[in-house]
Amino acid sequence: MRKVLALAAATLPALANAQTAPASAPPSAQGDVSLTIYNNDLALVQDVRQMNLPTGRTRQEFPDVSATIRPETVTLNASGTGIVEQNFDYDLLTPEKLMDKAVGQTVTVVRTNPATGAETREAATILANNGGTVVRIGDRIEVLNQYGARVIFPSLPAGLRARPTLSVTLDTTTPGSRPVSLSYLSRGFGWKADYVALFDEAAGKIDVQGWITLNNNSGTTFGQAKVLLVAGAVGQENNGYQNYRPQRPMMPGNRPGTQSANRESLGDFYVYPIAGRTTVANAQQKQVSFLDVAGAPATKAYHFRNGWLQNQTEPQSADTVLRFSTSREAGLGDALPAGTVRVYMRDARGQPQFIGENGIGHTPMGSSLALKTGEAFDVKVQPMLDKRERIDSGEWERSSRYRVTRPGQTAQEVIIDRELVFWRTTMTYKVTNAKATPVTVEVVQGGLDNWWHDTRVPSETIKGEQRSADERVWQVPVPANGETTLTVQFDSRY
Amino acid sequence: MSSLVRRALLSALLLCASAPALGQGLITSAAPDSVSVSVYRAPDRDSDTAMDLDWLEGYALVTEKRTVEIPAGKATIRFEGVAAGLFPESAIVTGLPEGVREKNLDADLLSPRSLYARMFGRPVTLRRTLPGTGGVREERAVIRSGPDGAAILQTSAGFEVASCGGLDDEILYAEAPKNLSAQPTLSIETESATSQKVTLSLSYLAWGFDWQTNYVIRMNPDGRTADLAAWVTLASSDSTSFADAETAVIAGEVNREDTERGAVPSGEELELRCQLSSLPPPPPPPPMVMAPAPAMMMESADIVVTAQRAKAMAAPVTVVQEGLGDLKLYRVPVPVTVAANAQKQVALAQKNGVKMQALYRAEVWEDSVGEVRQMLRTRNRKEEGLGLPLPGGPVAVFEPMGNAMLLAGEGGLADRAVGEDVEILLSRATQVTARIEELESKDRTRTLRLTATNARPVPVSFEARIARNAETQIKALGAKLTRKDGRDIWAVTIPANGTANLTYRLTEQD
Repeated sequence: MRKVLALAAATLPALANAQTAPASAPPSAQGDVSLTIYNNDLALVQDVRQMNLPTGRTRQEFPDVSATIRPETVTLNASGTGIVEQNFDYDLLTPEKLMDKAVGQTVTVVRTNPATGAETREAATILANNGGTVVRIGDRIEVLNQYGARVIFPSLPAGLRARPTLSVTLDTTTPGSRPVSLSYLSRGFGWKADYVALFDEAAGKIDVQGWITLNNNSGTTFGQAKVLLVAGAVGQENNGYQNYRPQRPMMPGNRPGTQSANRESLGDFYVYPIAGRTTVANAQQKQVSFLDVAGAPATKAYHFRNGWLQNQTEPQSADTVLRFSTSREAGLGDALPAGTVRVYMRDARGQPQFIGENGIGHTPMGSSLALKTGEAFDVKVQPMLDKRERIDSGEWERSSRYRVTRPGQTAQEVIIDRELVFWRTTMTYKVTNAKATPVTVEVVQGGLDNWWHDTRVPSETIKGEQRSADERVWQVPVPANGETTLTVQFDSRY
Repeated sequence: MSSLVRRALLSALLLCASAPALGQGLITSAAPDSVSVSVYRAPDRDSDTAMDLDWLEGYALVTEKRTVEIPAGKATIRFEGVAAGLFPESAIVTGLPEGVREKNLDADLLSPRSLYARMFGRPVTLRRTLPGTGGVREERAVIRSGPDGAAILQTSAGFEVASCGGLDDEILYAEAPKNLSAQPTLSIETESATSQKVTLSLSYLAWGFDWQTNYVIRMNPDGRTADLAAWVTLASSDSTSFADAETAVIAGEVNREDTERGAVPSGEELELRCQLSSLPPPPPPPPMVMAPAPAMMMESADIVVTAQRAKAMAAPVTVVQEGLGDLKLYRVPVPVTVAANAQKQVALAQKNGVKMQALYRAEVWEDSVGEVRQMLRTRNRKEEGLGLPLPGGPVAVFEPMGNAMLLAGEGGLADRAVGEDVEILLSRATQVTARIEELESKDRTRTLRLTATNARPVPVSFEARIARNAETQIKALGAKLTRKDGRDIWAVTIPANGTANLTYRLTEQD
């Protein structure tokens, strides 16, 4: 290997055309770059380059633009010049294009003897390149075989590029150097938030750090850029059909807030500038801190939802839910961009251990958050359907009334009564706690509404709260290492 | 053509080793001083099923202590020797005087393609192997095309395409670009007023780990008690070994978001063809390549191996259980090495003389009966000889036969808290059967007879669990049903070589 290097160094001056740039990364042609990155695979790139423009029509090239540029979004601003046309060139330099553009030119054909390796060179004129290269060598016409001969071209055709390049034809009235501002949208960028929450259960507090995680898969590195992150997805692919998004079942305790965070905003979106300048390298995932709150109040709760009046043959673990607020007074005091909250707790040795994670949407300040971190090993709920029987409601529903008037007679009123059919379902919820501390489990029974809008609870061993027509909630206290049985009767029309 | 690719890569790697020293303010932390690893089970695996050793879907929290010398001013610290499966967004670095300015995971890897792309417009050496006895010749050249498809090079003769005309060309680069790394590298930027030595803590989640509990139940000759041994088996498919790690495993359901796992970035390959046809468009970004799972040659009888160990030795090291919120943490009390692509077993518990009821269970739905299964039942209490949290896992049951122990069945146990019933379903019964006949059907009432037979020369316990539509009422004639877990239970002892009957009536309500 050393020999090769020595040889390489020795032959370097022999090559007149070789660039003798330093061996670090090639200098980028980018100027002063600002990136505005949205959540949905989109970024606005603003690139101010210092350019010396001569008077009249000239074609200017802008290399080192994003490889995933959306060329239709390019705008250019500079004083004393106007755009005649702009192109984003995909006319890449390939052997095929090289040959196409060389039609009519004279090239050198080198043949190598397969036995001895001896080379013979001949001048040839390329006649055509249509599914095969036809050349004239001296007074004969030949079809080139790529294994038998190689072609040396005297020059590269103009207009073919090694990389996708933006080119703009400008009509300049005043010559000289000036800043030229290029802006365009690019795909291949995205960001989300990642939160680290250290939960101290005994103290009822969490420490939360927020990190912005941004990805650059645009194929291009942007050096020393000003970066601004917009917490939102600007409606790029929204065609009117996607306005309705099914939401995940709402964990009770989640409530959107109504406070405004003390942050810059852009219309509906909060914006998060990154302090200073940073290099956003290609294929890089970068994290920058934006939030650090210590000692915000937080509580743990247990939650179990039985979606239907159904039996479970095995006890089901209750969800462990972490609750906290983003309000100014009693919480994190900030708006939270969408991302993942990872929750840690210290083990017996004081080392933080991961206890679960959950995703949050864009969360305004003042919101209450209830995040399921996992399922409790020691706290379980077993709903059991004990009985289901038809009962006499003792209630007659007046379902229709009409009056019949015949000529010459008094009006006759007809009332039709119908007996209501009710079913009485007796549910037992066995809530067990194998922990050495008492707990309270929030048990939710869903599926009560079921179209009839007439479900009643004639008896329950713990007073419940009807959260909606469909859901009833009980706060079930369970002693340490004990169990509590909740028995509820539901009278329903189905 | 692939030889060109291969050689280009080889040259690049060789040259990389001789790359100049790293730049100013760049500190490399090669390895942790100490490390602790907490292994979590695969989120989607039921706790009573075995892990897939060929494709571990659990994860680990790795916490490392590292000592670095940081200079005054801005500095970049690169971390080497981290787990290959790390989730970069989960990395936490603490202990720096001025905190962390930014964290980066650079996945622009040194690959034949990236090397070629970065060397665009710069001089390289073209080593040309001529056919036949022509030998090898080296020329200076400048790369003039992008990495998509073919290499167009400028030589002193003019412009040409590499590896055409019977020549076999390879490209030698003088040095590798500095900002390409061999593997995805986690780095942080920090600032310090003075140069100092700091001990920092780096923690992150990494995929490619898993663990399970293996239970070995040895029935005692009395048939009513058993010795229960529980083992923790933890496995890693990561390529990094963690030596002398403080190790813990964590039981319980931990919520995970759907994180793309195993998105191991790879440099793309460079394919240089001497082809004169129109080229396909540039390739899309690389797909999320799942890292190939290491080929673990596992014997299918690994549970038997466990059992033999359990019998042979009193476990010197038993994990210590502690609570962690609503999860259970089992700490290995001595430092152990969590080796790459390996598994390890540590004892969890040994309980002797556990009360264990062996019975046959049939599930009944109104008028039809399913297969009869063998089952073991106990309760997780001190009174029964247990009374400890039981993380789920596969169960192997052995029975004595003369002096030998025979594998009597295999089953699974889900996570069981203290005080819960423990039921372990084993294999299908061959000597105990159950069938249902309809004796009478009138209006809304059907009379049915459940017959259980026993072909064994000993009496057996039998239990039918009768489930029914909630609107259907049941009445047993001349027998008593108990209600448990929302079902009606008929428990009976079938005499040796005998039968037992239950006649019951089902009445549908309108």
